[in-house]
Amino acid sequence: MPRKLPLEETLLVEIGTEELPAAYLDGAIAQLRDDGQRLLDEAHLVHGAVESFGTLRRLVMIVRGLSAFQRNPAEQIRGPSKQVAFGPDGKPTQALLGFLRARGGTLGQLKTVATERGEYLHFLKPASTVSSIKVLPELIQHLISGLRFPKTMRWDASGFRFARPVRWLLVLDGSTPVRVTVGRLTSGRVTRVGGPKKPKAVAVGSVSAYHTALKRDGIMLDQQARRQRIDQLVRTAGKKTGGVVAPEMITHGLLDEVAGLTERPVPLVGRFDPKYLALPREVLLASMAKHQRVFAVQSASGKLLPAFVAILDGAPRKPAAIRAVMERILNARLADSLLFFEQDRKTPLKSAALAGVTFHEKLGSMEDKTQRMRKLIDPLASAWRLSDGERTQLERACALAKGDLVTTMVKEFPTLQGVMGKHYALGDGEPREVAMAIGEHYLPLAGRSPETLLGSALSVLDKYDTLASYFHIGIEPTGDQDPFGLRRAAQGIIEVAWLVRRPLPCGALFAPWQAAATRLAHGKAHLAEQVKTYLLERLYTFAWPKPVPTRDIIDAVLASRPDDLVDAMERIISLTRFNGNRALLKAAKVIERTANILKGAKQIPQGEPDPSKFQDALEGKLWNLLSTRRRDIDTLIAKQSYGEATTLYGEVFFEPLHEFFAKVMVNVKDPQIQQNRLALMRSINTLYTDRVADLSKLAILEEGTV
Amino acid sequence: MNLQGLIRTLESFWERQGCAIVQPYDIEMGAGTFHPATFFGALGPKPWRVAYVQPSRRPTDGRYAENPLRMQRYYQYQVLIKPTVDDIQQLYLKSLRACGIRLEDHDIRFVQDDWESPTLGAWGLGWEVWLDSLEVTQFTYFQQVGGVDVERVSCEITYGIERIAMFALGLHDVYQLPWAAGTSYGDLHRDTERQGSAYNFEHATVPFYQELFQQHWQEADRLLKVGQQHPELKCGLLYPAYEQLLKCSHAFNMLDARGAISQSDRPRFVLRIRMLARRCADAYLGEERVQQFVNEVVKAPDAA
Repeated sequence: MPRKLPLEETLLVEIGTEELPAAYLDGAIAQLRDDGQRLLDEAHLVHGAVESFGTLRRLVMIVRGLSAFQRNPAEQIRGPSKQVAFGPDGKPTQALLGFLRARGGTLGQLKTVATERGEYLHFLKPASTVSSIKVLPELIQHLISGLRFPKTMRWDASGFRFARPVRWLLVLDGSTPVRVTVGRLTSGRVTRVGGPKKPKAVAVGSVSAYHTALKRDGIMLDQQARRQRIDQLVRTAGKKTGGVVAPEMITHGLLDEVAGLTERPVPLVGRFDPKYLALPREVLLASMAKHQRVFAVQSASGKLLPAFVAILDGAPRKPAAIRAVMERILNARLADSLLFFEQDRKTPLKSAALAGVTFHEKLGSMEDKTQRMRKLIDPLASAWRLSDGERTQLERACALAKGDLVTTMVKEFPTLQGVMGKHYALGDGEPREVAMAIGEHYLPLAGRSPETLLGSALSVLDKYDTLASYFHIGIEPTGDQDPFGLRRAAQGIIEVAWLVRRPLPCGALFAPWQAAATRLAHGKAHLAEQVKTYLLERLYTFAWPKPVPTRDIIDAVLASRPDDLVDAMERIISLTRFNGNRALLKAAKVIERTANILKGAKQIPQGEPDPSKFQDALEGKLWNLLSTRRRDIDTLIAKQSYGEATTLYGEVFFEPLHEFFAKVMVNVKDPQIQQNRLALMRSINTLYTDRVADLSKLAILEEGTV
Repeated sequence: MNLQGLIRTLESFWERQGCAIVQPYDIEMGAGTFHPATFFGALGPKPWRVAYVQPSRRPTDGRYAENPLRMQRYYQYQVLIKPTVDDIQQLYLKSLRACGIRLEDHDIRFVQDDWESPTLGAWGLGWEVWLDSLEVTQFTYFQQVGGVDVERVSCEITYGIERIAMFALGLHDVYQLPWAAGTSYGDLHRDTERQGSAYNFEHATVPFYQELFQQHWQEADRLLKVGQQHPELKCGLLYPAYEQLLKCSHAFNMLDARGAISQSDRPRFVLRIRMLARRCADAYLGEERVQQFVNEVVKAPDAA
């Protein structure tokens, strides 16, 4: 009697690789599970839980309760038309036979179906049951080649792409190996353990044997469990040093990274020479986390301790020797940093030779840049109403801002630009506010924004000069190309200005910038406009608070050609809160009707209307309203009470204008009267559109009636 | 074991793997990748295995002989295997054992390195190999060189010879390493490092190097054009042009060490060198394709 086959099996797929980037693991593991599940479902393979795991050397999918059979429902598949299917002699043509061959059908399984385009032959494919083992190879091949990574590579003549070379494949359906081909590799029943030092191939006959093989080698397959284990190991080891792990180590992703750098985590505590604690915290953390991927520890009061926790891959034979090497390397690096730090501190920031540092060939040196930034202080300080004291400090911070670029420390750790400037300024005895401003002026960056007023101001000065300067020599971001980070600079300006919520007058900033930039060649015409427009356009992609403004509202505000970015933002927010309100629609109607009449005119008068030329009482009425209420509206606008200004504007003009249009003709024959009436319309229109928004752009006008 | 012995060990190890053992290039360069044996060798379909020592100049890394790990001029051992082979990682580890490093006693890691040389228009994926947290080797599968997708993927292995020797000998200071019997690394290089560092950081004349950059760039540009305009030169002038590129690159590194290049100005310098690299690669491939065609015709005379 034949052995009874099990109805369900556990499927194991292991993709063995050379060391994958730590940052790719989480994404790949999730994809493996989601894609695996999807492909199994699409193939009508009944299955239980789909799980996925991974380490730097393997990506693994385990499917529980996978049905031994693929159950395909009955199908009707359209084939060639009857005309094509049979020859004049009534015999089946090659076209028909080919179709049947490809689909696995016979002549007896055909049905003629009448359609609008004539008669067609359909293959009635009966429900079928196929052994899973027959469909799995293609499915798994699909699954593996469909995995996506941030960067992929080729390594052999097959041209197959993956994050790093795939070196083995293990596929087991229960205890049966499944033959899958990927690139030049064919799967087997062998996994590899032992890491690179003692690689060992182990043949496994089942999922449980696989787990045992990994366990015996100390490999933790589950990424989440490994991360937790490392977290726990690091914390316990940290306690041994008398401290706790520095919080930045966890928040800045070192834990995730280390979980992706080892499959057999073993902790090791090391120390460094306490004299290096004289270095700024940022420098110590950068050395430990970035260069050695070890965890810094700190005391209960938050001060760093001269110790670290490393996570090794596999228990070492001689931990003391490894510790000694790691300590020596860290000490050597910190000695290097301390040397930089001390050397840098010998020269005060103020005497940094910035004239020798090129900002850009066509834009002069960092000294030139600093000079241009300095010229922007006046307009910004008055727009932001800085006190004399603040202004003096801003000037000082501006003069010192770029000083750290010539320091050895920033050359070593470019990401510490600004941060080092802050420390050196403090060391030079500069006021705290000045130092903080220097430290913050490269922000916003990586989710951090300036927290001090002067830091915000300096950030804006720096970015505005960068933007204007590059535009000046014709360098602008295009598409997703932005090598000089200009888009980010523009976004930064807006973000910072919005955080401090103080005016950002583009025109007032540009004039002194241009005066300072006279030495630059290749000047562009309309530069002021270009810079302003570029900044304003960033408003479309700004991370607005809720309710998020719709595009038409931003269009309307930008159409009024605002000069102050922050004021433009206030208007956008006010109008957005007001959207859908009847008062807004009334005001919009006034704008729309006056705009329409002006649009049709051949010639638009520039000045105010002349009351002596009014012919109709309704003209006089509108003019009276304009003259008497203009000041109230102006006052509200000046106070940035845009909601109230809009309501008042609508209330004042909506009804009288309606009446006016019903009874008075604007485009009369007498050109003098006509021009005078147009001037009246224009005055009413621009009272609002010049200073708030061109509401004729609003989408509500298309559906709303008042 | 001493440093010269270590170099011999690597030479014979890779010789046994079928590598041509060539000599260092005689122009300053930042890394062994710049050697024409690698830059041009990685291009085109022809299989190629090569290994060599390359003195490498990193002006910004000078530490006046005060740091046991960093020098402004050091030695790389460079291996290029094209096409790469399946067991290349194990082959590399075997070479470390051959150098006398007992791997069981160390923590060894392959840490992601998306290697890129923006000046050469080259990139590849691979790792920094860490021994007890110190980077001792760069391991890269080239994907693009001179801005061109490679036809066959090479594996580039770049050893820091001094660091390997420190592990092999259990010494902690590069200057203590024995180079030969009775001669230490310090005897040979303490003064060159001190003076080199002082020159790079303090005494090199900025306008002089700015001028050099310009001049070498223009020369390279001109040579590449000459090659194009005179087909009778057959092989063009791409090697002389490439040498000018190397000099440009060194001038750039010197300006960098002097703090004369800002973060924001860097991309422009890099781009100018990369354009030259791209043109050299194109010229080389054009020529190699011509050569391939000639070979095919010569090999199959009956076909005509």
